[in-house]
Amino acid sequence: MVQRAITSGDLIDEATLTLDELARACSVETDWVIERIESGLLADGSPYVASWRFTSHDLTRARRMHQLERDFEAAPELAALAADLIEENQRLKDRLRAAGL
Amino acid sequence: MEFKDYYQVLGVEKTATAEEIKKAYRKLARKFHPDVSKELDAEQRMQEINEAKAVLSDPEKRLAYDQLAQQYHSGQDFQPPPDWDAGFEYSGRGFEEADLGEFSDFFANLFGQGSRQRGGGRAGRGYQMRGEDRHAKVVIDLKDAYLGATRSITLLVPQVDAQGRVSSKEHTLNVGIPKGVKAGQHIRLSGQGSPGIGGGPAGDLFLEIHFIPDPRYRVEGRDVHQTVPVTPWEAALGASIETPTPSGIVKLKVPAGSQSGRRLRLKGRGIPGPDPGDLYVELAVVLPPADSDKARELYETMARELAFDPRQRKGG
Repeated sequence: MVQRAITSGDLIDEATLTLDELARACSVETDWVIERIESGLLADGSPYVASWRFTSHDLTRARRMHQLERDFEAAPELAALAADLIEENQRLKDRLRAAGL
Repeated sequence: MEFKDYYQVLGVEKTATAEEIKKAYRKLARKFHPDVSKELDAEQRMQEINEAKAVLSDPEKRLAYDQLAQQYHSGQDFQPPPDWDAGFEYSGRGFEEADLGEFSDFFANLFGQGSRQRGGGRAGRGYQMRGEDRHAKVVIDLKDAYLGATRSITLLVPQVDAQGRVSSKEHTLNVGIPKGVKAGQHIRLSGQGSPGIGGGPAGDLFLEIHFIPDPRYRVEGRDVHQTVPVTPWEAALGASIETPTPSGIVKLKVPAGSQSGRRLRLKGRGIPGPDPGDLYVELAVVLPPADSDKARELYETMARELAFDPRQRKGG
């Protein structure tokens, strides 16, 4: 049996992403990220954004917004609104599950 | 590699106008978008749909593809003929370079890394590019988040040979899942993404953590919820019981006078981490069945001796 080495990685949140890393992971230019942060559509309220660091949640949201903008040719504000609703829906589903419903 | 009929993917005629292609794409994107679709193969379908749109919505790519498509049909074994795209020049509109990581070998051979490495596009001498970051989901047990684990994952990695042909190769990794990981969190494996071009460094691989649904436990962030069945006398009189939890068996004190639905918090017994979660235990009182003379007699005694009407207590 082939023994493979164990690959360990960084747990995002404990090690946050830089602006370049976030943009690369979302297949976008850094300007795309900056515009959405400045418009309050991404990483809004994150304690790390002032130092341009990003969490797992920011990565998920940025990828989602990029896909929505690309797939539906949606305006950034509309993609952010859809992302808000998807996140809220997910939160409510998690709470229903936690309540055993 | 199989030939892909992009018109069939979007469900449009070969004579479809740009507007008809856009309309068909939006309709399918609405149906198969992974965030909303309930279809099991939504991600794969969305990839095909995006790929078809990237080609058919770009006039230059569509023209080159149409010329090639005259000789092939969907599913037919396919290798791009040499210089198949001579005379066409792609502007790159309609898709982004990084999208290539999400597209098929067929697309990559025609319009992506393969075509560039065969001498077209930007693959000139000395051209280097970092490989794309890749994303995958890894599904673990809740217990793995408590204790840490190693999981084996297999990914399809695109490979470009000396002739510039793209194929997929299985790449298996044993990944260390750190203790304390939450659902939705990412693990970044440096250099495990797509290979670079022209000796450029490989991209990173981001693994998004998901938990296998477990009917015993419900997870909310780092907090874990579970229901524990108790007998009527344990609930009424109080008891010390043992119950399994994700971190092992714990001794739990059931306060006297408990009812079904009472929640007990075990502080710090949720998913570990810098700010560990709590474990919430919800008591569920389970009645023993009245399926023997003795059991029936006990219930009849209670009915006679206890002045208890739950409907009256609730005001109903």
